[in-house]
Amino acid sequence: MIGIQREDIDLGRMIERARVPEAGAIVVFDGIVRDDDIQEMELEAYREVALEELERIAEEARRRFSLAAVEIVHRIGRLKVGDNILAIVVSAAHRSEAYEGSRFIIEGIKAHVPIWKKELRRDGGRWVEGEANTMNGIES
Amino acid sequence: MKVRVRFFARFREAFGPELEVDAIKGETLLEIVRRAASSKRDGYSTLFEEDGRLKRFVIVMHNGSRVEHADAEQISVAEGDEIAVFPPVAGG
Repeated sequence: MIGIQREDIDLGRMIERARVPEAGAIVVFDGIVRDDDIQEMELEAYREVALEELERIAEEARRRFSLAAVEIVHRIGRLKVGDNILAIVVSAAHRSEAYEGSRFIIEGIKAHVPIWKKELRRDGGRWVEGEANTMNGIES
Repeated sequence: MKVRVRFFARFREAFGPELEVDAIKGETLLEIVRRAASSKRDGYSTLFEEDGRLKRFVIVMHNGSRVEHADAEQISVAEGDEIAVFPPVAGG
């Protein structure tokens, strides 16, 4: 399943969906809200395009790393410290493909998927700057 | 003809989530973005340099596909088009 949602992520269900007969390894990445002296975090997405990009990245990862299953769920809305932001669950025949596939997906999301985060502090809000990447308006 | 311009993140805070622009036949993506930006006080300088070019970090999409700034000066809009304008992405 590839999704963008407000509600919390059910990691257990994602893992079960990735537990397929040809898999020998499941890797779980769970990105959570870090306490950088913030109160909350607000996430927003260009939903239609973000979903298409997530699908594209998942397909590319399946092909490159021979993944048996790919599950990605990104949250939007207002989150607090410790909340799940993003879960990626992949399975593969062997651990190396599963680890590499998971890493490929998170880096792809950071570079290409139109989602933004705003840190909400006592003294106001601050948009998190995008990393130097292909969606930073400099490279094509 | 109607063209929809959508803004995200800090540009949404500056311009609102979307604007409907009445486009003239032959108008380019960049001309539409320029008009949308000018709809708000100080809006123009949020997206554009003094020389009229889009700021380097501003990302433009046309119907869900990324468009380079140089191409945005050439591509004409059509009825029902959607233009999205946003800063660098920061998901994950």
